[in-house]
Amino acid sequence: MKRNYYIFSNGRIKRKDNTICLENEKGKKYIPINDIEALYIFGEVDFNSKVLNFFGQNNITVHIFNYYGFYTSSIYPREHLLSGYSLVNQVKKYLDPVERIKLARETINTASYNILKNLKYYNPRRNEKLEDIILKIEKERKKIPYTNGIQDLMGTEGRIRDLYYSGFSIITMGKFKMKKRVKRPPDNPMNTLISFGNSLMYTTVLSEIYRTQLNPTISYLHEPGERRFSLSLDISEVFKPIITDRTIFKLINEGMIDQNHFTKELNFCHLNEKGRKVFMQQYEDKLNTVIKHKELERQVSYRRLIRLECYKLIKHINDIENYEGLKMWW
Amino acid sequence: MSLSDAMHATGVEVNYYFICKRKLWYFTHGITMEHNSTRVEIGKEVHKNSFKRKNKEIMIDNQICLDFIDKELIINETKLTKAMNDATRYQILYYIYYLENKGIKQVKGIVHYPKSKKREIIELDGEERQVLDKVLKFIYAIKKSNSPPSLEKKRKCKKCSYYELCFS
Amino acid sequence: MYILIVYDVGEKRVQKVLKFIRKHLIWIQNSVFEGNVTKAELLKIKNGLKEIVDQKEDSIIFFTARNERWIKKEIMGREKNATDNFI
Repeated sequence: MKRNYYIFSNGRIKRKDNTICLENEKGKKYIPINDIEALYIFGEVDFNSKVLNFFGQNNITVHIFNYYGFYTSSIYPREHLLSGYSLVNQVKKYLDPVERIKLARETINTASYNILKNLKYYNPRRNEKLEDIILKIEKERKKIPYTNGIQDLMGTEGRIRDLYYSGFSIITMGKFKMKKRVKRPPDNPMNTLISFGNSLMYTTVLSEIYRTQLNPTISYLHEPGERRFSLSLDISEVFKPIITDRTIFKLINEGMIDQNHFTKELNFCHLNEKGRKVFMQQYEDKLNTVIKHKELERQVSYRRLIRLECYKLIKHINDIENYEGLKMWW
Repeated sequence: MSLSDAMHATGVEVNYYFICKRKLWYFTHGITMEHNSTRVEIGKEVHKNSFKRKNKEIMIDNQICLDFIDKELIINETKLTKAMNDATRYQILYYIYYLENKGIKQVKGIVHYPKSKKREIIELDGEERQVLDKVLKFIYAIKKSNSPPSLEKKRKCKKCSYYELCFS
Repeated sequence: MYILIVYDVGEKRVQKVLKFIRKHLIWIQNSVFEGNVTKAELLKIKNGLKEIVDQKEDSIIFFTARNERWIKKEIMGREKNATDNFI
């Protein structure tokens, strides 16, 4: 199985003897080209078109984060899996408002199910203090099938998410307080962790979409064009509670991350290199965690579940099987 | 449907027809999964390393891909295992049939199994000609159809590169 | 599967072998590589090496295990090159 490689060092990435080499003052570090699933760049790295072409030839996606650890861009090589038939149908499902909202609703329905699952897991462990939030979310969730249009649905989604985030301080036992979710830039450590986690989720999903016939720019919940690859945002909704939020809770509750992993600069916080590494390690562990899949009758990793979600979308889009999102059964 | 429509099938399509019609539907609609499969990758590698000196992979009419042809017009095809016997046989029979329709007669086929170092000789007879006539019509219909044949879980599914797509 | 390759080849071919395996596995010390591969990739590595080495003179040993978990790795002295994916 190929792996993601995470580059934290600085230096120059070169194509050398038909493989990849990172060169810096410490020397040369070779990365086997045939072992790379996707490349994450956190360090300050130079590379040239020769190396980009080489990634393209080998169908490797590259995700780049800036000095502050914010995701900035991805290199998405030319599509290697094309189905004109499926693409036409993917667009059709977007153009038809009834079909579009159906998919968007199922996305939120699934995401909120997984959100509740997290809350219900922690509720008995936190003296039932999450009970109120759970009840409110359950109430909001009932409105999903009756939402009128995407705006309305987004409103419901927003309220669910606000409620959910208000439970984060309880789940993490007050270690990381957060009043309100603030993005761009995040204004406290918890917001920083969420932003970082969500951007990782986006890139992981994008790399999986790349391995399928789905077009990453056509989405249903999010407006295409909201970001370049908006389908990745749609699918991320399903997996954020399962993968990133659980990673964050674990990092905080088990004391793996604390104030020392952040740099306070002006009015916002950012994860320093040590913090990013700890996060990445736990995130990667989560992706590689396996569970038994009932239908497939085999062990699958969380990462693979993302791919399976893409397959389900392909089947839905082509009218083979209605999409039912992944609702945490474990 | 004219003969020329039917002849638009490729060897792989004939092969898939005998393995699984649902897989054939996905494949002909561009939803391919072969890139995920270690088995397919091994097959390619074995293929690449067998018969190194002969001309490999000859494309005819951009339509059928023959593994290699010897001097006396023998179609050679390499396969990993003997498991998909009918599929392999008809793939080659189709090549012979195709060439016949182009006026090239008396072609023989040989399937090589490099792993077990065995081979099998294949010739086209009248009955098989009729089977192929029908099969080509079915393939044509599957390609034109907007929905795939229904799902059936069989033992062979687990080894198929489309398994995760079908059962996700 | 987990794989460890150890080789002892003629001087002329050392560089070629090194460069070839580097595309698939991680170099851990002189003439030793390690990594996780699929069956297909192992076959590719073996086929590629067959083209480079002289089987009458050279020797390449493949250790494989179904999973890395079944092998305990201990290092005495210096770890010359780490195998993890955090660089």
